[in-house]
Amino acid sequence: MVRGFAVALFAVAVVAVAVPATAHHSGAMFDEKKTITVEGTVKEFQYTNPHSWLLVDVKNKDGSVTTWGFEAEGPTTLQRAGIRPSEFKVGTKITITGRPMKDGTPAATWEYAVRTSDGKKFNPREGFAVK
Amino acid sequence: MRSVAVYGGLAALAVFLYITVGAQKPPRTKADMIELGRQHKTAADLFQALKNEAKGGRRLEWAKMPDWSGVYTRRPVAGFAFDPDTPAGALPTAKLTPEYQAKMMKRIEDLKKGIEWDPISTCAPPGVPRWLTEPFLREFIVTPDQTWLINEMVNDIRRIYTDGRGHPPEEDRYPLYNGDSIGVWDGDKLLIHTNQLKAGIYQRAHPDYTDQVETVEIWRKEDDKTLGADVWVYDPPALVEPWFTHQTYQKLSDPDKNLRIRYWNCGENQNNTVVQTKEGATEFQQFTFVPSDKKQGGK
Repeated sequence: MVRGFAVALFAVAVVAVAVPATAHHSGAMFDEKKTITVEGTVKEFQYTNPHSWLLVDVKNKDGSVTTWGFEAEGPTTLQRAGIRPSEFKVGTKITITGRPMKDGTPAATWEYAVRTSDGKKFNPREGFAVK
Repeated sequence: MRSVAVYGGLAALAVFLYITVGAQKPPRTKADMIELGRQHKTAADLFQALKNEAKGGRRLEWAKMPDWSGVYTRRPVAGFAFDPDTPAGALPTAKLTPEYQAKMMKRIEDLKKGIEWDPISTCAPPGVPRWLTEPFLREFIVTPDQTWLINEMVNDIRRIYTDGRGHPPEEDRYPLYNGDSIGVWDGDKLLIHTNQLKAGIYQRAHPDYTDQVETVEIWRKEDDKTLGADVWVYDPPALVEPWFTHQTYQKLSDPDKNLRIRYWNCGENQNNTVVQTKEGATEFQQFTFVPSDKKQGGK
């Protein structure tokens, strides 16, 4: 279910030029000034290089379903962040937050996701931390 | 008599310390390194000077190899800046010629308008010297005759030949993403000269470099978990003086042996395919999860 799409858009600090989620391409197509949060179920986890995509089915108010894509880092970075394919099996219920595309396409960067069943939070950027 | 022996012993110790420790030059500071670059007109000249200092260098022996094993990554740097010492929010520290300063400023102004295109969007490798900045997993394989510097991104391997060979003859050189690298060992330090490079960018919101760019690097294990590299970049059309930076790579803890570098197929997922617009911006081509009868917004 879309959690108040219009309500969920809110400003975040503009990051100068660092766009860590988009190591292979520019991140300029995403809106750094907004975030969107949706609730839905995992349709597919594309665990690929150079970016992974988490596809999430989101029920709209009129009962229709929109598939949203959330872009994150590639597999080894996700593994370092503790995000393995088994964490997001098909049908897993989640709430996910990202920076949406400027042109209205249902896609966003994956900032963080919370799994409904246990409240566990997943942040792909943690994969860049040096431990 | 006894005091004479004691003083004699102390004097001998002082001479020994002078020879073994005192006579060694103190470590060079960053300012020294910058000045060292300025003192040599070309990267080849600097490399030769360092090689002379190392008395030609030595060949490694299998029995006494430096331990560069493990999986590393570049120590995090805001914006993947080429110079890790760049102050937050500041411009890159390179001293650029007016033409290349103007090019960089245009790139930064365009970015503010949402116009940006990164040459690696086509799945091309970053190329050297940008290779130094990428934030992914790395491995370093040392053998007597070659050292491999590996970045997992697009399976990117730099081969450093340390078997005494020189560069190919000038008339046979052509631009390469990672260039041609030769090196010598000076104790535990690997000195590298790279030429035959291809033009590129140091990073996003950074300057261009030309296909005249050459680098000199000194790699060394700084402690159990850190590999460091002193890097001088020479590029006369773009730089008014060599750009010196110090790069560091941190060994990652891996007690459960989970870290593995895998084959990196940059083109495996249609959802990562982007195209360059007429204005020079970046646009996704067509997502698989957006029905084909519904055009992506803005198209």
